[in-house]
Amino acid sequence: MQTSTNNEQTESTRAQYAPASIPLTQLTRGQRATVNTSDLDEQDSKVLRAMGLRPDASVQMCRLGEPCIVSLSGACGGGCRIGLAKDIASRVMVTPQH
Amino acid sequence: MTSIDTAPAIEHRHRTIAVLGNPNVGKTTLFNRIAGIRAKTANFPGTTQEARVAHITRKEHNATIESVLIDLPGIYSLNLDLSESRVCAQCLDGTAAPSGEQAHKPDALLVVLDATNLMRNLTIVAESIDKRLPTVVAVNMIDAARRRGIGIDARSLGEMLGCQVVVCSARTGEGIDELMLALRNARVPDRSAPTDQQGIERWSQDVYLNACAPLDTLDDDKLTDRLDRAFTHPILGICSFAIVMTGLFYVIFKLAAYPMDWIDMWFGSLGAWVGSLLPEGAIRDLLTDGVIAGVGGTVIFLPQICLLFFLLALLEATGYLARAAFVIDRLLRPFGLSGHAFVPLLSSHACAIPGIMATRAIPDRRDRLAAILVAPFMSCTARIPVYVLLTGILFPGKPSMQAIAFTGCYMLGAAGGLLSSLLARRTILRGKSRPMALELPSYRIPDLKSAILLTYDRGMVFLKKAGTLIVAISIVLWWLGAYPVLPRTGVQIEAQVRADATPEELEAGYAQMRVEQERQQAELDAQYPQLQAKNSYLGRIGSTVQPVFAPLGYNDQLTVGVLASFAAREVFVSTMAVQVAGNEDFEDETVLESIENATRDDGTPLFNAPTSWSLLVFYVFASLCLPTTVVTAKESGGWKWAFLQLGWMSFVAYAGALVAYNIAAMVGG
Repeated sequence: MQTSTNNEQTESTRAQYAPASIPLTQLTRGQRATVNTSDLDEQDSKVLRAMGLRPDASVQMCRLGEPCIVSLSGACGGGCRIGLAKDIASRVMVTPQH
Repeated sequence: MTSIDTAPAIEHRHRTIAVLGNPNVGKTTLFNRIAGIRAKTANFPGTTQEARVAHITRKEHNATIESVLIDLPGIYSLNLDLSESRVCAQCLDGTAAPSGEQAHKPDALLVVLDATNLMRNLTIVAESIDKRLPTVVAVNMIDAARRRGIGIDARSLGEMLGCQVVVCSARTGEGIDELMLALRNARVPDRSAPTDQQGIERWSQDVYLNACAPLDTLDDDKLTDRLDRAFTHPILGICSFAIVMTGLFYVIFKLAAYPMDWIDMWFGSLGAWVGSLLPEGAIRDLLTDGVIAGVGGTVIFLPQICLLFFLLALLEATGYLARAAFVIDRLLRPFGLSGHAFVPLLSSHACAIPGIMATRAIPDRRDRLAAILVAPFMSCTARIPVYVLLTGILFPGKPSMQAIAFTGCYMLGAAGGLLSSLLARRTILRGKSRPMALELPSYRIPDLKSAILLTYDRGMVFLKKAGTLIVAISIVLWWLGAYPVLPRTGVQIEAQVRADATPEELEAGYAQMRVEQERQQAELDAQYPQLQAKNSYLGRIGSTVQPVFAPLGYNDQLTVGVLASFAAREVFVSTMAVQVAGNEDFEDETVLESIENATRDDGTPLFNAPTSWSLLVFYVFASLCLPTTVVTAKESGGWKWAFLQLGWMSFVAYAGALVAYNIAAMVGG
């Protein structure tokens, strides 16, 4: 239940200060963030969402650069890692968690 | 339970059970655990997608019930515009089936989930529920989940999904019996799930939070983190990739040498035995020189092909290959190839045909065309026999040098492909390639059984090919080489007798004449096989075309070997075996030895160093495979691409071989 409260908070936060989101590639290593949107084309963004990189999923940056590796642990209930080409990662917008 | 026991599903004689799930959830391991070696791989007609199909029979109340288990390709969602997703959706709708099976709606659906990734996996459960098929959900890898402290409440999960949920572990066998029972009693879910993406996402989160101890903390997996960083590191990643691949081929060389020797010896003595059994004549020659030499020259590579697939399957199961994909992606992108091309290009190392067909997964058309054009440059298994023969000749008794030369061949082929792609992306296919996103599965200890089953499958495919196409070509070649038969000439010597010779002198003169006649006859007999070979259809074709290949150092025999390879390159070794067997008494030698020790007309070795290098380079680059050309034309949507590919590869092969021949001749001489 905690997560859904977080989500509500995130949504309200987003409503208040909309541009708090940054590209995934601007996170530092080990930093956590919540996924917002992506400006990828429909096909790519559908695949990413199916892979677990969906809005409100929380991610942790594991490796920056090419490829960029994020851990989706919180979102899928375990250890799930996704490797993204820099070009894709830089187009996924996230809100850093503190 | 009794009411479920009498559910109509059980009355079907053939029950089809489709197995669905995300990639990397241990679906195939689970399938193999249930089906064992009864499974075979089948394609969905008209696609590159494969499924493993197993027919399982079981006795129950004096009735035999046959179930057909279909292991569908791993997908993240049924609704994606990808070939594998479409195939799965069609299979569940009953509009498609793997070849050999009738297309109809499955009688039951087994959805396999990864217990350690439950929330994401629920997407496909929601989509499955929407299909209204009798469904069972298997939460696999429960052992791994427990180790991570993830608890899953199967009962409440089942209540929320409206179907039976079984927690199991395909690795340890836990829960498999229960799963089998559940499958027998599968029923249509009595709940529904949302159908739109957002709804599914919200639903899966709710289900997850209710059925699973919420795991809000991210577990910092230090080891995975470190390994990932090392394997994808710009320098370390490439180094480890090179080490892994060289190690792989070294092991293949070391281990395969033993069974290869046995097979070689076995076919050698089989040929001698059959030869001793049958009377001299065309049938004996056909069997020993045509069939046995040809098949022996091909089957001998079975150990290597099996080992390659076995080790690649193990490597893939460890989770390393997904990391390597990104290392490769970094290498590929400068050459205008997408990281998506990694799988097609890797498959092309088995065979270019599935590789080219796998390019359908590449979303961008130009990316795809580039991958199709260069896929045959990747060294396929059909090249292995030629590589083995030539590296063996170049570095006799030095397995480490052979392994390096072998890896070198693979790299040379890949480099040729990359440069060709670069050229294409600068000229006929202008543009940049699309970036890649890929799941990095957890590092695992690979499942031996799955690897063995895959190896068995691939080995059988190779043997079937060896048993049909290669035998046919071997027989045709034997015939071309054995006919027309050159009549054996007898030697007649005119006796020069003095008129006043004494009877003793006459006797001595005749004796001397007989000795001389026998000597000359023996000389003629010794020359006969080579004269016969030259006079045969094959020899005539060879000597007509040979001038084209003369600059590369090939004589008539090698020219014939190369020409025969244009249909399929793996026949080179068997062609050489047939030709050499026809020329020499090879019964004391094994097949490979007789090829290695073959000589030219002037008595020098057939495979001298410059010729061997030139052949090696030629076979790395040349597009010697008729089916590949046909598939390229089909997949690229035009013969112009196929001819472009054939022409370009032939040009590169000829030029490369010419350079290699001259360099080797300069260095050697």
